[in-house]
Amino acid sequence: MQRSRALWAGIAAGVFAVIPLLTRDTFALRVVTEAMMWIGLAVAWDVLGGYTGYLNFGHGAFFGLGAYTTAVLMMRGHWPFALALVAGGVTAGAAAVVAGLPTLRLKGAYFAIATWALSRAVQQLALVLEFTGGPDGMRLPPFLNPMFFYYLMWALVTAIFVVLWILLERSAFGLKLQAIREDEEGAMALGLRPTAIKVQAFVLSTVPAGILGGVYAYWITFIDPASVLGDLVTDQSVVMAVFGGLGTLVGPAVGAVLIYAFKTFFWAYLSEYQVLYLIILGTVIALSVVFLPDGLIGLMARRRIKEPAEPEPADEDSQGLREVAP
Amino acid sequence: MRRLVAFALCAVLGVSPAWAQAGRDHFKVGVITSLSGDLATGGNVTKRGYDLWAKAVNEAGGIEVNGKRYPVKLYYADAQSEPSQGASGAERLATQEEVDFVLGPYSSGVTLAVAPVLEKYKIPMITGSAESPLIWRQRFAYTFGTIPPVNYTGSQPVGALAGLTPKPKTAIVLGSNDAFSKATAEAFKAAAEAHGIRVLKFNIVPSGQDLIPLLSAAKVLRPDVIAFGGHDEELINLVKALRQINYTPKALLMHYGVTEPAFVEALGKDAEEVFGASVWTPTLPTRGNLLWADARAYAEAAQKEYGVPADYTQAGCSAAGIAFQAAVARAGVTPPLDEGERRALRDALEALDIETFYGRIDFADQGEFYHANTGLEALTVQIQGGRPVIAAPAEFAETQPRYPMTPWNQRR
Amino acid sequence: MRRGDETEPGLRPRQLFTEVPVLWQLLPQAVLDGLLIGGVYITVALGFSLAFGVMHIIDFAVGEWIMLGAFLGYYLQRWTGLDPLALLPVVFAVFTAVGYVIQPVIHRAVSGRRGNPVLMGLVFTFGLMLAIRGAGLTVFGFFSHSIPSALSARSLFLEAGGLFVTVPAIRLFGFVYAIGITAVLHWVLRRTDFGLAVRALAQNRDAAGLMGINARRIGSWVYGIHVGVSAMTGVVIGSIFSISAQMGGDYTILAFFVVVLAGMGYLAGVPWAAFLLGLVQSLFLVYGNPSYTLLAVFAILYLILLVSPKGLFAKGV
Repeated sequence: MQRSRALWAGIAAGVFAVIPLLTRDTFALRVVTEAMMWIGLAVAWDVLGGYTGYLNFGHGAFFGLGAYTTAVLMMRGHWPFALALVAGGVTAGAAAVVAGLPTLRLKGAYFAIATWALSRAVQQLALVLEFTGGPDGMRLPPFLNPMFFYYLMWALVTAIFVVLWILLERSAFGLKLQAIREDEEGAMALGLRPTAIKVQAFVLSTVPAGILGGVYAYWITFIDPASVLGDLVTDQSVVMAVFGGLGTLVGPAVGAVLIYAFKTFFWAYLSEYQVLYLIILGTVIALSVVFLPDGLIGLMARRRIKEPAEPEPADEDSQGLREVAP
Repeated sequence: MRRLVAFALCAVLGVSPAWAQAGRDHFKVGVITSLSGDLATGGNVTKRGYDLWAKAVNEAGGIEVNGKRYPVKLYYADAQSEPSQGASGAERLATQEEVDFVLGPYSSGVTLAVAPVLEKYKIPMITGSAESPLIWRQRFAYTFGTIPPVNYTGSQPVGALAGLTPKPKTAIVLGSNDAFSKATAEAFKAAAEAHGIRVLKFNIVPSGQDLIPLLSAAKVLRPDVIAFGGHDEELINLVKALRQINYTPKALLMHYGVTEPAFVEALGKDAEEVFGASVWTPTLPTRGNLLWADARAYAEAAQKEYGVPADYTQAGCSAAGIAFQAAVARAGVTPPLDEGERRALRDALEALDIETFYGRIDFADQGEFYHANTGLEALTVQIQGGRPVIAAPAEFAETQPRYPMTPWNQRR
Repeated sequence: MRRGDETEPGLRPRQLFTEVPVLWQLLPQAVLDGLLIGGVYITVALGFSLAFGVMHIIDFAVGEWIMLGAFLGYYLQRWTGLDPLALLPVVFAVFTAVGYVIQPVIHRAVSGRRGNPVLMGLVFTFGLMLAIRGAGLTVFGFFSHSIPSALSARSLFLEAGGLFVTVPAIRLFGFVYAIGITAVLHWVLRRTDFGLAVRALAQNRDAAGLMGINARRIGSWVYGIHVGVSAMTGVVIGSIFSISAQMGGDYTILAFFVVVLAGMGYLAGVPWAAFLLGLVQSLFLVYGNPSYTLLAVFAILYLILLVSPKGLFAKGV
């Protein structure tokens, strides 16, 4: 079961790896680069949101923190990109520890809104500080090599996926997270230390976001508080994860690809109907919650399995995956 | 499920159109602007300007180059008010549509992300609306703009106010915390100090902030002038707040947004006598050689097309099209443009100095306004009788500025 | 005490630059402004808090209901020529019906075999928000409008013993309106059979069902009241500020803020949380560095949540 899932993830990574060899179209490369970024963001969000059951509505803040750290170190500190990128990830992780320790005590909607308030505060901070450029944002030196960013993004997202897969699906850590999600007191009774585990999950979820933010900054060459610290990153990551299927790694990845592809297709070829896009996307999201409570992954599972009376959700998706395999 | 993924990828990748480029008999013009998202209001005004230009050109048979006419076709890319989407749009227009030149975004943020991509592909861009001084400091070789930045236009109205009697002695200057508004407020402040108006209070406030406590406090200082840098909604809220606390300064000064028809529509008689900065109004005496003979002719065409009066952003966008039109003719290049021809077009733009319905277009080729249009005079406008009229400088003024402002509660 | 519209005296310039008295003299005004701002926030958050308390839905679309209500008020005002504040009951009735009709769909989204109902409700209303905003932009266009009311042109100036305040009439109305709605809602919940059923539902859905309470009907009414109150508030907001098809997001943020501060679902906490938010803004704008207002506001919300995770009164659900 696990092997089949790994196989398919590997094939997907392989497909992404050869795309640049098949097309010279730099726009296509850009689109796929961004799609991979969203895969990374949605999957990382799901570590806390899906596996652990803590809805982080400040995901974008960590993305932005990474972007700003990278930009500030490159522009004000003259650091090389690679080092600044690492620093971006470290900053995001450190921020997760500092913010996580008190915040992860909150439950349900309170955690969601506390993280959201935190992300708003970070955005305001970037707007009023001097060294972030305030509302003017920051420009980075343009290094517009599509191949470089494509393979950088590919390598990072693959690495994120592999690390998360090992930790969440192949080790006890993933089970601990799910134990906390299902019954936090019960987990404590079993001798787990929920606080430490939750903070670890928070770090595991935010470091990828920070690193991807750093790549974004160098790739797009311009960041400002509205674009990297706004609601977009959080909102989109959450929607992609929910649409694809919470508490799995493949689900959010599929959700990310589909939503991003739909959005981009609409954007590129039906630009005149932009407002219609909002209506369609909104309706799709709302209906998917009503009819696909377990996301697309759940749909696959449901359709393919003659299900026994009450299947264990975790089994449900992986079996579904095996069934889909030809 | 994997097949689904593959299918989704193909949907994006596979549709790359490989148009036969050779022997194309029309110009492909990219339009990158924010048709959705936070900046959609302004973005859609720019779209109107670009569309109106394209329509007028095509009605005349197209752009004339060496005696032959080539129609234009617009290709849109919605920047969604996001720099990254603007950059993607630029990439798409450059590589898939292979556009000849680009009409640019609404905001400075998007422009700053789009410009490097177009630099890479050597595609000239003229933005008809981005007014932040930041853009021109980057010295992009292929990026031009028809509207001068706010630090060029913002000082004129302050100077004009300083020349009125009784001379205003004190001012408070407020700005919303976004790139354009902050630059506007800073320009107002610098100009006020230069003209001997004492700035009692200078504050940058978060966007969308309810300003009534700040204005109540400012009211106690009895400033002669209240100057505010902000966007349309914020301007309306500011006037309503002043109306609510019943404080009428001698002069109320804003920048862009006053000339937007929505401002007068929303405020009615409370919009009267508000000062604004502009570079164009429908009554500006101009003489154009291309498409529209003067500002009035353009305003009539715009009114007919969209049913609302044109403001200077829309006019600046149509003028961006005209600048390309003139530069294409001067460079003598015909579609499709190769890289060398696009460079020639860029050089022609830099050398351009023409009179249009919008006024003079002359892109600076050096200095802090590099590639911004410095051919225009900054104007002080005032809302009178429900429309913006030119109140200064004297050579363009249609009327005397009404000053001091009629108190709110004495208006009919 | 003197009062009036036209007779307002200017302070003599000499008074102005002796900083201390001026700062001191500003205090009543700053406090009043804070309370009046807070007054508007009460009704932005009230319906939202009710919906959360009873159905545990974080309604991302609350700002969009405000937007739709505001535009209905705007168009009704233009067609009828009546003062928008006289149209409030009409807007309330229309949108209560809308909410009543929509609620069963939301109910489906958050019930049944679902891992995380809070998230499901949130994502559902997020989708609803996008769809409504898209529809709003299509129908109403991008520009800002204002709903003119006779009250927005009036103000009251009060002075006594060196202290003075200006009271904008429209904001005073907003304040009174908010207190009034709060009182009515409170009365309905405490003193009527319907209110009893709602409270029973909020406390224990299953037990309420056993007691013969039709959870679906009551749920529909609650969501209807939430949508109706929010929409009506949109009209008041349109008279005080401006409206546009994109305005919703800002008010959703405010609603979140107030409801969390109050304790989610704890209705009685809403006015106090709203006043606190208004006062923080007002005092910060006058006595602090205005640039940092929103930073302070969000930092305070975050800190309060850490200290008292269930809101100011620790009474949230």
